[in-house]
Amino acid sequence: MGDGSFVSLVGPSGSGKSSLLRAVIGLQQPLAGTVETGLARSQVGILFQDDALLPWKTARDNVALGLTFNGMERRKALAEADAWLERLDLAGFGDRFPRRLSGGQRKRVALAQVLAMKPRLLLMDEPFASLDAIVRARVVKDLVALVERETISVLLVTHDLEEALTLSDEVYLLSQGPRARITEHYPVPIPRPRDPVLSRTHPAFAPLYERLWADLSRAVDQRVEAA
Amino acid sequence: MTRLDRRYAWVRQLAAFAAVLAVWEAAGRAGMLNPLYAPSPSRVGAALIDLFSDGRIWPHLEATFSAALGGLALGIAVGVLLGVVAALVPFIAELLEPVMTVLNAIPRVILAPLFVIWLGIGLASKVALSFILVAVLIFFTVFTGIRQVDRRLVERVVTLGGDRWALVRHVYLPSVASWVLGNLKIAVGFAFTGACVGEFVAATEGLGYLLSFAQSTFNAALMFALILLILAVVLVIFGLAGRLEKHLLRWN
Repeated sequence: MGDGSFVSLVGPSGSGKSSLLRAVIGLQQPLAGTVETGLARSQVGILFQDDALLPWKTARDNVALGLTFNGMERRKALAEADAWLERLDLAGFGDRFPRRLSGGQRKRVALAQVLAMKPRLLLMDEPFASLDAIVRARVVKDLVALVERETISVLLVTHDLEEALTLSDEVYLLSQGPRARITEHYPVPIPRPRDPVLSRTHPAFAPLYERLWADLSRAVDQRVEAA
Repeated sequence: MTRLDRRYAWVRQLAAFAAVLAVWEAAGRAGMLNPLYAPSPSRVGAALIDLFSDGRIWPHLEATFSAALGGLALGIAVGVLLGVVAALVPFIAELLEPVMTVLNAIPRVILAPLFVIWLGIGLASKVALSFILVAVLIFFTVFTGIRQVDRRLVERVVTLGGDRWALVRHVYLPSVASWVLGNLKIAVGFAFTGACVGEFVAATEGLGYLLSFAQSTFNAALMFALILLILAVVLVIFGLAGRLEKHLLRWN
Protein backbone atom coordinates (compact mmCIF):
# COMPACT_ATOMS: atom_id res chain seq x y z
CA MET A 1 0.00 0.00 0.00
CA GLY A 2 1.52 3.31 -1.07
CA ASP A 3 1.80 6.38 1.13
CA GLY A 4 -1.36 8.44 0.98
CA SER A 5 -3.23 5.87 -1.06
CA PHE A 6 -6.81 4.93 -0.45
CA VAL A 7 -7.46 1.20 -0.55
CA SER A 8 -10.75 -0.61 -0.09
CA LEU A 9 -11.42 -4.20 0.84
CA VAL A 10 -14.70 -5.66 -0.32
CA GLY A 11 -15.97 -9.16 0.08
CA PRO A 12 -18.88 -11.27 1.24
CA SER A 13 -19.88 -11.22 4.90
CA GLY A 14 -17.68 -13.53 6.88
CA SER A 15 -14.64 -13.11 4.68
CA GLY A 16 -12.75 -11.62 7.61
CA LYS A 17 -12.58 -8.01 6.50
CA SER A 18 -13.21 -6.65 9.97
CA SER A 19 -10.86 -9.17 11.55
CA LEU A 20 -8.14 -7.96 9.24
CA LEU A 21 -8.57 -4.37 10.41
CA ARG A 22 -8.66 -5.48 14.02
CA ALA A 23 -5.43 -7.36 13.51
CA VAL A 24 -3.77 -4.30 11.97
CA ILE A 25 -4.67 -2.11 14.94
CA GLY A 26 -3.79 -4.82 17.44
CA LEU A 27 -7.24 -5.58 18.87
CA GLN A 28 -6.90 -9.15 17.65
CA GLN A 29 -3.96 -11.49 17.16
CA PRO A 30 -3.65 -12.94 13.66
CA LEU A 31 -3.98 -16.75 13.76
CA ALA A 32 -0.85 -17.07 11.68
CA GLY A 33 1.68 -14.65 10.30
CA THR A 34 2.30 -11.07 11.31
CA VAL A 35 1.00 -7.65 10.42
CA GLU A 36 3.55 -5.14 9.13
CA THR A 37 2.61 -1.50 8.96
CA GLY A 38 6.03 0.05 9.51
CA LEU A 39 4.26 2.58 11.68
CA ALA A 40 4.15 3.32 15.39
CA ARG A 41 1.00 2.31 17.22
CA SER A 42 -0.15 5.92 17.59
CA GLN A 43 0.21 6.53 13.85
CA VAL A 44 -2.61 4.14 13.05
CA GLY A 45 -6.18 5.27 13.66
CA ILE A 46 -9.42 3.36 13.36
CA LEU A 47 -12.97 4.46 12.73
CA PHE A 48 -15.59 1.91 13.71
CA GLN A 49 -19.04 1.35 12.33
CA ASP A 50 -20.59 2.97 15.37
CA ASP A 51 -19.05 6.16 16.63
CA ALA A 52 -18.27 4.70 20.10
CA LEU A 53 -17.92 8.11 21.71
CA LEU A 54 -17.77 8.15 25.48
CA PRO A 55 -21.32 9.26 26.37
CA TRP A 56 -20.24 11.02 29.57
CA LYS A 57 -17.71 13.24 27.83
CA THR A 58 -18.46 16.30 25.73
CA ALA A 59 -17.53 16.37 22.06
CA ARG A 60 -14.42 18.40 22.89
CA ASP A 61 -13.31 16.03 25.66
CA ASN A 62 -13.90 13.05 23.38
CA VAL A 63 -11.68 14.52 20.69
CA ALA A 64 -8.98 15.50 23.20
CA LEU A 65 -8.94 12.02 24.72
CA GLY A 66 -6.42 10.38 22.40
CA LEU A 67 -4.16 13.44 22.50
CA THR A 68 -3.87 13.32 26.28
CA PHE A 69 -3.26 9.56 26.16
CA ASN A 70 -0.21 10.31 24.07
CA GLY A 71 1.19 12.81 26.50
CA MET A 72 -0.20 16.12 25.30
CA GLU A 73 -0.94 18.60 28.05
CA ARG A 74 -4.69 18.84 28.69
CA ARG A 75 -5.15 22.50 27.87
CA LYS A 76 -3.27 22.15 24.62
CA ALA A 77 -5.25 19.02 23.77
CA LEU A 78 -8.54 20.86 24.29
CA ALA A 79 -7.42 23.71 22.03
CA GLU A 80 -6.37 21.19 19.42
CA ALA A 81 -9.72 19.42 19.79
CA ASP A 82 -11.58 22.68 19.16
CA ALA A 83 -9.51 23.27 16.03
CA TRP A 84 -10.43 19.81 14.72
CA LEU A 85 -14.10 20.25 15.53
CA GLU A 86 -14.02 23.49 13.58
CA ARG A 87 -12.33 21.80 10.64
CA LEU A 88 -15.15 19.25 10.64
CA ASP A 89 -17.87 21.89 10.68
CA LEU A 90 -18.67 21.45 14.35
CA ALA A 91 -17.55 24.82 15.71
CA GLY A 92 -19.71 25.63 18.73
CA PHE A 93 -20.67 22.01 19.41
CA GLY A 94 -17.70 21.28 21.66
CA ASP A 95 -19.74 21.43 24.86
CA ARG A 96 -22.42 19.04 23.69
CA PHE A 97 -22.64 15.51 24.97
CA PRO A 98 -22.87 12.84 22.24
CA ARG A 99 -26.49 12.20 23.15
CA ARG A 100 -27.34 15.71 22.03
CA LEU A 101 -25.67 15.39 18.64
CA SER A 102 -27.18 13.98 15.47
CA GLY A 103 -25.82 10.81 13.90
CA GLY A 104 -23.86 12.76 11.32
CA GLN A 105 -22.44 15.10 13.95
CA ARG A 106 -21.38 12.18 16.12
CA LYS A 107 -19.64 10.64 13.14
CA ARG A 108 -17.80 13.91 12.59
CA VAL A 109 -16.72 14.00 16.23
CA ALA A 110 -15.46 10.43 15.93
CA LEU A 111 -13.59 11.46 12.79
CA ALA A 112 -12.08 14.50 14.56
CA GLN A 113 -11.08 12.20 17.43
CA VAL A 114 -9.11 9.97 15.07
CA LEU A 115 -7.70 12.65 12.76
CA ALA A 116 -6.51 14.77 15.71
CA MET A 117 -4.01 11.99 16.39
CA LYS A 118 -2.43 12.75 13.00
CA PRO A 119 -2.46 9.13 11.85
CA ARG A 120 -0.41 8.04 8.85
CA LEU A 121 -2.80 5.17 8.29
CA LEU A 122 -6.54 5.34 8.85
CA LEU A 123 -8.55 2.13 9.11
CA MET A 124 -12.29 2.31 8.57
CA ASP A 125 -14.78 -0.48 9.19
CA GLU A 126 -17.99 0.42 7.35
CA PRO A 127 -17.89 3.78 9.05
CA PHE A 128 -20.81 5.34 7.23
CA ALA A 129 -23.29 2.47 7.15
CA SER A 130 -25.47 4.02 9.85
CA LEU A 131 -25.86 7.42 8.17
CA ASP A 132 -28.60 8.45 5.76
CA ALA A 133 -27.57 9.14 2.18
CA ILE A 134 -27.28 12.93 2.25
CA VAL A 135 -25.50 13.18 5.58
CA ARG A 136 -23.26 10.38 4.49
CA ALA A 137 -22.31 12.08 1.22
CA ARG A 138 -21.36 15.26 3.06
CA VAL A 139 -19.31 13.55 5.78
CA VAL A 140 -17.54 11.45 3.15
CA LYS A 141 -16.74 14.51 1.08
CA ASP A 142 -15.12 16.26 4.05
CA LEU A 143 -13.25 13.11 4.96
CA VAL A 144 -11.86 12.73 1.46
CA ALA A 145 -10.72 16.37 1.41
CA LEU A 146 -8.94 15.94 4.74
CA VAL A 147 -7.16 12.68 3.94
CA GLU A 148 -6.06 14.07 0.59
CA ARG A 149 -4.72 17.21 2.22
CA GLU A 150 -2.89 15.38 5.00
CA THR A 151 -1.80 12.51 2.72
CA ILE A 152 -3.17 9.89 5.07
CA SER A 153 -3.30 6.32 3.78
CA VAL A 154 -6.71 4.76 4.19
CA LEU A 155 -7.77 1.13 4.39
CA LEU A 156 -11.55 0.95 4.09
CA VAL A 157 -13.65 -2.13 4.67
CA THR A 158 -17.08 -1.97 3.11
CA HIS A 159 -19.61 -3.95 1.20
CA ASP A 160 -20.85 -0.87 -0.55
CA LEU A 161 -19.19 -1.23 -3.97
CA GLU A 162 -20.05 2.29 -5.01
CA GLU A 163 -18.38 3.68 -1.90
CA ALA A 164 -15.33 1.53 -2.54
CA LEU A 165 -14.93 2.68 -6.15
CA THR A 166 -15.62 6.38 -5.70
CA LEU A 167 -13.22 6.71 -2.77
CA SER A 168 -10.37 4.34 -3.53
CA ASP A 169 -7.28 4.25 -5.65
CA GLU A 170 -7.37 0.48 -5.43
CA VAL A 171 -10.02 -2.05 -4.49
CA TYR A 172 -9.27 -5.61 -3.34
CA LEU A 173 -11.82 -8.40 -3.36
CA LEU A 174 -11.75 -11.03 -0.63
CA SER A 175 -13.19 -14.48 -1.32
CA GLN A 176 -15.73 -16.25 0.85
CA GLY A 177 -14.40 -17.33 4.26
CA PRO A 178 -13.26 -19.31 6.11
CA ARG A 179 -9.72 -19.15 4.68
CA ALA A 180 -10.65 -16.11 2.66
CA ARG A 181 -7.96 -14.70 0.43
CA ILE A 182 -7.58 -11.77 -1.88
CA THR A 183 -8.82 -12.93 -5.27
CA GLU A 184 -8.98 -9.77 -7.35
CA HIS A 185 -7.41 -6.36 -7.53
CA TYR A 186 -8.92 -3.33 -9.29
CA PRO A 187 -6.98 -0.10 -9.76
CA VAL A 188 -9.38 2.85 -9.99
CA PRO A 189 -8.16 5.41 -12.56
CA ILE A 190 -10.32 8.32 -11.39
CA PRO A 191 -8.01 11.34 -10.84
CA ARG A 192 -7.54 13.20 -7.54
CA PRO A 193 -8.60 15.47 -5.97
CA ARG A 194 -11.94 13.75 -6.16
CA ASP A 195 -15.48 14.63 -5.49
CA PRO A 196 -16.92 11.34 -4.25
CA VAL A 197 -20.38 12.13 -5.62
CA LEU A 198 -19.23 13.23 -9.07
CA SER A 199 -16.77 10.35 -9.34
CA ARG A 200 -19.72 8.18 -10.22
CA THR A 201 -20.02 9.98 -13.54
CA HIS A 202 -16.40 9.25 -14.51
CA PRO A 203 -16.27 6.94 -17.56
CA ALA A 204 -14.15 4.39 -15.68
CA PHE A 205 -16.77 3.98 -12.97
CA ALA A 206 -19.54 1.99 -14.65
CA PRO A 207 -17.40 -0.80 -16.21
CA LEU A 208 -15.45 -1.25 -12.97
CA TYR A 209 -18.64 -1.38 -10.98
CA GLU A 210 -20.05 -4.06 -13.29
CA ARG A 211 -16.91 -6.17 -13.07
CA LEU A 212 -16.69 -5.86 -9.30
CA TRP A 213 -20.36 -6.70 -8.92
CA ALA A 214 -20.05 -9.80 -11.11
CA ASP A 215 -16.98 -11.02 -9.22
CA LEU A 216 -18.54 -10.41 -5.83
CA SER A 217 -21.75 -12.22 -6.87
CA ARG A 218 -19.67 -15.18 -7.94
CA ALA A 219 -17.91 -15.20 -4.56
CA VAL A 220 -21.26 -15.20 -2.79
CA ASP A 221 -22.61 -17.96 -5.07
CA GLN A 222 -19.66 -20.15 -4.15
CA ARG A 223 -20.76 -19.91 -0.57
CA VAL A 224 -24.28 -20.99 -1.47
CA GLU A 225 -22.95 -23.99 -3.40
CA ALA A 226 -20.59 -24.93 -0.61
CA ALA A 227 -23.40 -24.87 1.89
CA MET B 1 -64.45 10.74 26.20
CA THR B 2 -62.94 14.17 26.71
CA ARG B 3 -59.19 14.53 26.57
CA LEU B 4 -57.45 15.58 29.74
CA ASP B 5 -54.83 18.28 29.71
CA ARG B 6 -51.88 16.41 31.19
CA ARG B 7 -50.28 19.59 32.50
CA TYR B 8 -52.98 19.90 35.12
CA ALA B 9 -52.91 16.28 36.29
CA TRP B 10 -51.41 17.37 39.63
CA VAL B 11 -54.30 19.78 40.21
CA ARG B 12 -56.85 17.00 39.77
CA GLN B 13 -54.81 14.60 41.91
CA LEU B 14 -54.54 17.19 44.66
CA ALA B 15 -58.26 17.97 44.48
CA ALA B 16 -59.16 14.28 44.69
CA PHE B 17 -56.84 13.84 47.66
CA ALA B 18 -58.38 16.85 49.41
CA ALA B 19 -61.85 15.47 48.72
CA VAL B 20 -60.95 12.11 50.30
CA LEU B 21 -59.58 13.91 53.36
CA ALA B 22 -62.73 16.04 53.61
CA VAL B 23 -65.01 12.99 53.42
CA TRP B 24 -62.83 11.22 55.97
CA GLU B 25 -62.93 14.21 58.30
CA ALA B 26 -66.69 14.60 57.91
CA ALA B 27 -67.29 10.89 58.55
CA GLY B 28 -65.13 11.13 61.66
CA ARG B 29 -67.01 14.14 63.01
CA ALA B 30 -70.36 12.52 62.26
CA GLY B 31 -69.29 9.65 64.48
CA MET B 32 -69.24 7.14 61.64
CA LEU B 33 -65.59 6.16 62.21
CA ASN B 34 -64.12 4.79 65.40
CA PRO B 35 -61.26 7.21 66.27
CA LEU B 36 -59.42 4.32 67.86
CA TYR B 37 -58.89 2.73 64.43
CA ALA B 38 -59.30 5.55 61.96
CA PRO B 39 -58.58 8.91 63.54
CA SER B 40 -59.79 11.85 61.47
CA PRO B 41 -57.20 13.89 59.54
CA SER B 42 -57.47 16.73 62.05
CA ARG B 43 -56.50 14.40 64.90
CA VAL B 44 -53.57 13.06 62.91
CA GLY B 45 -52.54 16.65 62.15
CA ALA B 46 -52.77 17.52 65.83
CA ALA B 47 -50.59 14.53 66.75
CA LEU B 48 -48.05 15.62 64.15
CA ILE B 49 -47.95 19.18 65.48
CA ASP B 50 -47.66 17.78 68.97
CA LEU B 51 -44.55 15.82 68.04
CA PHE B 52 -42.80 18.94 66.86
CA SER B 53 -44.14 21.50 69.30
CA ASP B 54 -42.46 20.04 72.35
CA GLY B 55 -39.34 19.16 70.35
CA ARG B 56 -39.24 15.54 71.45
CA ILE B 57 -39.28 14.34 67.84
CA TRP B 58 -35.81 15.68 67.01
CA PRO B 59 -33.66 13.06 68.76
CA HIS B 60 -35.79 10.37 67.09
CA LEU B 61 -35.42 11.93 63.66
CA GLU B 62 -31.70 12.25 64.23
CA ALA B 63 -31.40 8.61 65.26
CA THR B 64 -33.24 7.36 62.18
CA PHE B 65 -31.33 9.67 59.86
CA SER B 66 -27.98 8.65 61.32
CA ALA B 67 -28.79 4.98 60.94
CA ALA B 68 -30.15 5.32 57.40
CA LEU B 69 -27.44 7.61 56.04
CA GLY B 70 -24.68 5.68 57.81
CA GLY B 71 -25.98 2.42 56.36
CA LEU B 72 -26.40 4.02 52.95
CA ALA B 73 -22.84 5.38 52.82
CA LEU B 74 -21.29 2.17 54.12
CA GLY B 75 -23.51 0.03 51.90
CA ILE B 76 -22.57 1.94 48.74
CA ALA B 77 -18.86 1.94 49.60
CA VAL B 78 -18.70 -1.77 50.40
CA GLY B 79 -21.11 -2.72 47.61
CA VAL B 80 -19.03 -0.90 44.99
CA LEU B 81 -15.76 -2.29 46.36
CA LEU B 82 -16.97 -5.90 46.45
CA GLY B 83 -18.70 -5.53 43.08
CA VAL B 84 -15.55 -4.21 41.41
CA VAL B 85 -13.29 -6.80 43.01
CA ALA B 86 -15.67 -9.65 42.14
CA ALA B 87 -15.97 -8.45 38.56
CA LEU B 88 -12.19 -8.29 38.14
CA VAL B 89 -11.08 -11.35 40.14
CA PRO B 90 -12.92 -14.55 39.11
CA PHE B 91 -11.78 -16.34 42.28
CA ILE B 92 -13.49 -13.75 44.48
CA ALA B 93 -16.61 -13.81 42.29
CA GLU B 94 -16.81 -17.56 42.78
CA LEU B 95 -16.88 -17.14 46.55
CA LEU B 96 -19.02 -14.02 46.77
CA GLU B 97 -21.70 -14.66 44.21
CA PRO B 98 -23.51 -17.52 46.00
CA VAL B 99 -23.47 -15.63 49.31
CA MET B 100 -24.80 -12.49 47.69
CA THR B 101 -27.41 -14.44 45.73
CA VAL B 102 -28.72 -15.97 48.96
CA LEU B 103 -28.68 -12.60 50.71
CA ASN B 104 -30.49 -11.14 47.74
CA ALA B 105 -33.14 -13.85 47.75
CA ILE B 106 -34.11 -13.66 51.42
CA PRO B 107 -35.96 -10.70 52.91
CA ARG B 108 -32.87 -9.25 54.56
CA VAL B 109 -34.85 -7.58 57.35
CA ILE B 110 -35.10 -11.01 59.02
CA LEU B 111 -31.51 -10.39 60.05
CA ALA B 112 -32.63 -7.57 62.36
CA PRO B 113 -32.94 -9.67 65.56
CA LEU B 114 -29.52 -11.18 64.88
CA PHE B 115 -27.94 -7.74 64.61
CA VAL B 116 -29.56 -6.76 67.90
CA ILE B 117 -27.96 -9.76 69.61
CA TRP B 118 -24.62 -9.03 68.03
CA LEU B 119 -24.51 -5.26 68.21
CA GLY B 120 -26.97 -4.28 70.93
CA ILE B 121 -30.05 -2.11 70.74
CA GLY B 122 -28.08 1.06 69.92
CA LEU B 123 -27.34 2.73 66.61
CA ALA B 124 -24.94 0.04 65.37
CA SER B 125 -27.57 -2.65 64.80
CA LYS B 126 -29.70 -0.22 62.73
CA VAL B 127 -26.74 0.87 60.64
CA ALA B 128 -25.93 -2.80 60.10
CA LEU B 129 -29.42 -3.59 58.83
CA SER B 130 -29.48 -0.56 56.53
CA PHE B 131 -26.02 -1.48 55.36
CA ILE B 132 -26.84 -5.07 54.46
CA LEU B 133 -29.96 -3.99 52.56
CA VAL B 134 -28.04 -1.42 50.52
CA ALA B 135 -24.76 -3.30 50.06
CA VAL B 136 -26.34 -6.34 48.37
CA LEU B 137 -28.30 -4.13 45.98
CA ILE B 138 -25.22 -2.10 45.05
CA PHE B 139 -23.02 -5.19 44.77
CA PHE B 140 -25.23 -6.68 42.07
CA THR B 141 -25.60 -3.35 40.32
CA VAL B 142 -21.84 -2.97 40.02
CA PHE B 143 -20.98 -6.63 39.51
CA THR B 144 -23.35 -7.18 36.62
CA GLY B 145 -22.71 -3.66 35.34
CA ILE B 146 -18.97 -4.07 34.92
CA ARG B 147 -19.50 -7.25 32.95
CA GLN B 148 -21.76 -5.34 30.62
CA VAL B 149 -19.46 -2.39 30.01
CA ASP B 150 -19.75 -1.50 26.36
CA ARG B 151 -16.93 -3.38 24.59
CA ARG B 152 -16.91 -0.75 21.89
CA LEU B 153 -15.99 1.96 24.37
CA VAL B 154 -13.19 -0.19 25.73
CA GLU B 155 -11.85 -0.78 22.22
CA ARG B 156 -12.20 2.90 21.37
CA VAL B 157 -10.06 3.93 24.35
CA VAL B 158 -7.51 1.20 23.70
CA THR B 159 -7.13 2.10 20.02
CA LEU B 160 -6.67 5.76 20.95
CA GLY B 161 -3.66 4.67 23.00
CA GLY B 162 -5.26 4.50 26.46
CA ASP B 163 -3.62 2.24 29.03
CA ARG B 164 -5.25 0.23 31.83
CA TRP B 165 -5.55 3.24 34.09
CA ALA B 166 -7.16 5.26 31.30
CA LEU B 167 -9.72 2.47 30.89
CA VAL B 168 -10.55 2.49 34.59
CA ARG B 169 -10.76 6.26 34.71
CA HIS B 170 -12.61 7.00 31.49
CA VAL B 171 -14.72 3.88 30.96
CA TYR B 172 -15.14 1.74 34.07
CA LEU B 173 -15.51 4.38 36.78
CA PRO B 174 -18.05 6.52 34.88
CA SER B 175 -20.02 3.37 34.02
CA VAL B 176 -20.05 2.22 37.64
CA ALA B 177 -21.00 5.70 38.83
CA SER B 178 -23.91 5.85 36.42
CA TRP B 179 -25.32 2.48 37.54
CA VAL B 180 -24.95 3.31 41.22
CA LEU B 181 -26.61 6.68 40.69
CA GLY B 182 -29.36 5.01 38.71
CA ASN B 183 -30.10 2.88 41.78
CA LEU B 184 -29.59 5.64 44.32
CA LYS B 185 -33.30 6.19 44.96
CA ILE B 186 -33.91 2.50 45.56
CA ALA B 187 -30.89 2.45 47.86
CA VAL B 188 -32.25 5.42 49.84
CA GLY B 189 -35.56 3.60 50.26
CA PHE B 190 -33.72 0.46 51.41
CA ALA B 191 -31.61 2.45 53.86
CA PHE B 192 -34.68 3.93 55.57
CA THR B 193 -36.42 0.57 55.55
CA GLY B 194 -33.42 -0.91 57.36
CA ALA B 195 -33.25 1.90 59.90
CA CYS B 196 -36.99 1.87 60.71
CA VAL B 197 -37.33 -1.91 60.87
CA GLY B 198 -34.24 -2.11 63.07
CA GLU B 199 -35.75 0.44 65.44
CA PHE B 200 -39.03 -1.39 65.35
CA VAL B 201 -37.40 -4.60 66.54
CA ALA B 202 -35.48 -3.20 69.48
CA ALA B 203 -34.40 0.37 70.19
CA THR B 204 -34.69 3.26 72.60
CA GLU B 205 -35.17 5.98 70.02
CA GLY B 206 -35.93 6.58 66.35
CA LEU B 207 -39.03 6.82 64.19
CA GLY B 208 -39.36 3.04 64.10
CA TYR B 209 -39.19 2.95 67.86
CA LEU B 210 -41.94 5.58 68.10
CA LEU B 211 -44.02 3.51 65.72
CA SER B 212 -43.74 0.43 67.88
CA PHE B 213 -44.54 2.63 70.89
CA ALA B 214 -47.68 3.90 69.13
CA GLN B 215 -48.62 0.32 68.37
CA SER B 216 -48.24 -0.90 71.93
CA THR B 217 -50.29 2.03 73.25
CA PHE B 218 -52.92 1.64 70.53
CA ASN B 219 -52.37 5.24 69.45
CA ALA B 220 -53.59 5.27 65.85
CA ALA B 221 -53.34 9.05 65.49
CA LEU B 222 -49.65 8.99 66.44
CA MET B 223 -49.08 6.07 64.09
CA PHE B 224 -50.62 7.92 61.14
CA ALA B 225 -48.61 11.01 62.05
CA LEU B 226 -45.37 9.00 62.09
CA ILE B 227 -46.15 7.28 58.80
CA LEU B 228 -46.74 10.70 57.24
CA LEU B 229 -43.50 11.98 58.72
CA ILE B 230 -41.45 9.07 57.39
CA LEU B 231 -43.12 9.52 54.02
CA ALA B 232 -42.14 13.20 54.01
CA VAL B 233 -38.57 12.45 55.04
CA VAL B 234 -38.10 9.83 52.34
CA LEU B 235 -39.69 12.09 49.72
CA VAL B 236 -37.26 14.88 50.57
CA ILE B 237 -34.28 12.52 50.34
CA PHE B 238 -35.67 11.10 47.09
CA GLY B 239 -35.84 14.61 45.72
CA LEU B 240 -32.24 15.30 46.69
CA ALA B 241 -31.08 11.97 45.25
CA GLY B 242 -33.01 12.72 42.07
CA ARG B 243 -31.33 16.09 41.69
CA LEU B 244 -27.90 14.62 42.31
CA GLU B 245 -28.60 11.90 39.75
CA LYS B 246 -29.82 14.42 37.22
CA HIS B 247 -26.77 16.60 37.67
CA LEU B 248 -24.19 13.85 37.53
CA LEU B 249 -25.93 12.00 34.71
CA ARG B 250 -26.66 15.13 32.69
CA TRP B 251 -24.92 13.56 29.71
CA ASN B 252 -27.62 10.91 29.60
